[in-house]
Order: sequence, then structure tokens, then C-alpha cells
Amino acid sequence: MQPLANVTPLRPAQRAGAIEIRDVGQVFRTAGAEVVALSQVSLEIKPGRFVVLVGPSGCGKSTLLMMLAGLREPTSGSILINGTPITKPDPDRVGVVFQEASLFPWLTAEENVEFPLALRGIAKAERRAKAEEALKLVGLEGFGKRHPHELSGGMKQRVSIARGLVQDPPVLLMDEPFAALDEQTRMTMGDELLRIWAATGKTIVFVTHSLTEAVYLADEVVVMSARPGRIVDHLQVSLPRPRTYEMLSGDVFGSLRDRIWRHIRKSA
Amino acid sequence: MSDRWTISLGRIAIVLALFALWETLSRFGVVNSRLLPSASDTFGTLADLLQRSSVRSDLAVTATEVLTAFALAVPFGGLIGFLIAENRYFADVVKPLLFFAFSIPKSIFLPMFILVFGVGFSQKVGFGFFSTIFIVIMSTATAVESVRVEYLTVARSYGATRAQTAWRVYLPSMLPVLLEALRISMIFNLTGVILAEMYASRDGIGHQIASWGENFQMKQLLAGVVMVAAIAIAFNEIIRWVETRCSHWRT
Repeated sequence: MQPLANVTPLRPAQRAGAIEIRDVGQVFRTAGAEVVALSQVSLEIKPGRFVVLVGPSGCGKSTLLMMLAGLREPTSGSILINGTPITKPDPDRVGVVFQEASLFPWLTAEENVEFPLALRGIAKAERRAKAEEALKLVGLEGFGKRHPHELSGGMKQRVSIARGLVQDPPVLLMDEPFAALDEQTRMTMGDELLRIWAATGKTIVFVTHSLTEAVYLADEVVVMSARPGRIVDHLQVSLPRPRTYEMLSGDVFGSLRDRIWRHIRKSA
Repeated sequence: MSDRWTISLGRIAIVLALFALWETLSRFGVVNSRLLPSASDTFGTLADLLQRSSVRSDLAVTATEVLTAFALAVPFGGLIGFLIAENRYFADVVKPLLFFAFSIPKSIFLPMFILVFGVGFSQKVGFGFFSTIFIVIMSTATAVESVRVEYLTVARSYGATRAQTAWRVYLPSMLPVLLEALRISMIFNLTGVILAEMYASRDGIGHQIASWGENFQMKQLLAGVVMVAAIAIAFNEIIRWVETRCSHWRT
């Protein structure tokens, strides 16, 4: 990983996770019928990489993410994070950032961030200190006492990211975190996420529908197709970092996006 | 905030106008004052009645019955509602049946309650319970279903146990809906108990109101109506106040 030149890490970059997905399949059984959601998916992700999963609806990218989070067990194959299989949620190894509106509206921003720590019975003072640090990391210092309904869409997702990072897990999973945001906020949040990633050095697996977002953020883009869900391409994004807005109109960016689009058009 | 002020002002004006209308109708003989005693007379009688120990003990009897019926119906109905909502199959089977039961006017069962329990405390509490339980079951089931799947997924992904999920996610998430359910249940509960008192009872404020009516004691009757109305409105408003404090939880 190359840290951004203009970023001073708040914490030394550390604790990045290695992910191994081996021959994973997922079959749903609904009312007698069997649907193959994923078939023979294998993928290796090196520590500290920013990997984006894209693909048409129903390609199983979210299912794959849920399996990485331990929320769903693979029907076949195995998933290893830092060499150990993941079979149930393990907040020590994996933090998850969900789509919009996953914050608890009855808790303040800092209480939301503290939630994973509260589940483990960590003392109030320590919880508060860690939540403050995490909120500072995502650029929300001083907003801890607000309730989600008092925050903008972008700020809510920053709180979600802080909640995902508060236990300092080596892997951060993100399921279309910016899908509900407007275009402008979405671009800003992308830059913010890259800053946070550079500051923490986590391995990030990010699911999105947006090809532009995929190429802009990623070290590697994994393209999936539907029925059955499988990996059809795995691209390295060679664009230098820090990524800039100007790159969006460049040739490298355009050809990468075209290549992804051709896969998706074929399978849709 | 002038908007909120004008709204409150308008509301107060309507209430005052109604009382003024009541007062004039009676005072100037538009309506026979024996049929409709004036507002001032009624409130005078109310103050007088509240001094009397017999009225106070009637109020105490009714309050005990209402609270007992409520304290039995809410946890019992809440538990049934929760169990129904938790099990999809059970919910599908039982829900229409509950709607059937709910649609029947409960008052037609009152004679049976008297035959089974006799006239007394248990008959009134029993009927209050019966009037309340269906709405509690149905609103609890709705409250459980109102909990967003996203919240449960978040809790699970951070390793929450079943107890932690119930306490930290289900309960706070359901609270706004539950409070509303509590408020509406109390309306049903109060109606049930007072109806039972008016139908057949030896004590309680409902019994008093019925007998004042039978004896053509209009002042006392109206004072009793005002009394019960005030108690009902007060309870409703307290819960509504708590509700508005957590209204943003619904989003």
C-alpha cells in the first residue's frame, strides 16, 4: 500500500488482514426450488488492499460480502481471514459498514460507535475514548452527541464507518455504503474513505453498483456475473495515488471502466 | 414559533367557546337547566363531590380495577403478541383469528362475565382484561414486525447474543410503537371497566354515574362525566408526551 502524501496517519498503519476465498458456493433453498447464488468463487486478497466487487443485481456480490462477515455460511468451500476460517460473525477480525439507515436512531452518534464495544462489556470510559478517536478519524469530531436524524446522509455513513473501525479490525467490509447519497456527497465520501484507508491501512472489500466509484477507489476490481454468481474478471487498477478528479476523464480510467461495462452488459 | 402559538391559542379558544356556549345555553334558558345544568354549576358540584369520601372511595375502586386489568392485560398480551410475531407460521395461522375476535363488540359478553364471576371486583377486572387483551396482542405483534431487519443484521454482525439483541435492539426499536399501543389499550381498558361498572356493580365511579343518571341528578352526572374525561385525557397526554420525545426513533 502506498500511503497518501498529504495524510498523516492518526495511528500507524497496521493490522491489515489477508483474505482467502476458496471454491466458495452458496445455494439458497426457497419453496422447493434451489437457486445457485454463487458458484466456485475463489479469490485471494493481500493485506491492506482496497478491493471492489462489482456486478449486476443478483450476481451474489452482497452474498459474498455477507459470508465474509460470517453472517452466512458458504454451502461449499471455505473462507479464511488471516489464516483462520470464518464461520460466524467475528468483530475482532471483521468490521462491517452497511447501506444507509443501519445506525440505531435511538442512540447518539457516539453511542452508535460504542455499540460493538458495549456488546463486549467494555467499561464506559474506555468505550467513550475509543468512540471519540474513531469519530475523529472519520472527521466527525464534536458531533458525538447528535442523533442520526440530526446528521446528513454523508455524516451518517461516516458514523457507520467509525462503528466499523472502532474495534480496529484488520478487515473492513462495506456493502454499498454510499448508494443512497447524492453524487456530490458520494464523490466527497469516496475521497474521505481513501484518506481513512490510508490512515489505518485496513484491507477493504467494497461492494458497489457504480463503475466509476469502483475504478476510482480500488486497487483491484473483481467483476462478477449472475446466474450463477461467479467471478468473470479481476482487474488491477494501475492509476497512481492519490486519486484525483481529473483521472476520471483520462484514458486509463476510461478503458478500465469500459472493460468492466462490457462484462456486465454481457451478463445482464 | 408564532405558528405553534397561534395553534395553541386557537385550540384554547375552541375549548373556552364550548364552555361559554354550554354556560349560556343553560343560564338563559335556551335549554332547560334541569336537563343541562350550567358549566359553572357542574364544576361547583364537581368540587363538592371530590370532597366526599364516598366519591373518593368510588374513584379508588375504579382506579384499582383499571390498573389491575391493565397490569394483567399488558404483559400477558405483550408476551402472546411477541411470540406470535416471532414465529412466521404461527403468525400466519393466528392473525386472522385475532382479527375476528377483535371485530366482535366485547360488550355482548358482559352478561356472561357476570354469570361466571358474579357482581364484583373480579367481574370488572375480568371484563377490563378481556376488552384490552386483543388490542395489546395485535399492537405488540405489529411493534415486533416494525423492527427493521437492518438493525438485527448490525447486531448480529457485531456478535450480539439473543438477550443483547432483545434488550438493546428489539426493545428500544419497538418503544415508540409500544407506547402508542399502551395509550390505545388504556382507552379500551377504561371503557371496559366503566361499562362493567355501569351495567352491574355496587361501587366504582361508573356505577355512580349510572345511578346519578337513573335518579335524574344531572349536576352530579355531568360532574362525573367531566371527572372521568379528565382522568382519561390526562393519562393519554402523559403517554403522548413520552411518545413525542422518542418520535425520531421511527425513522
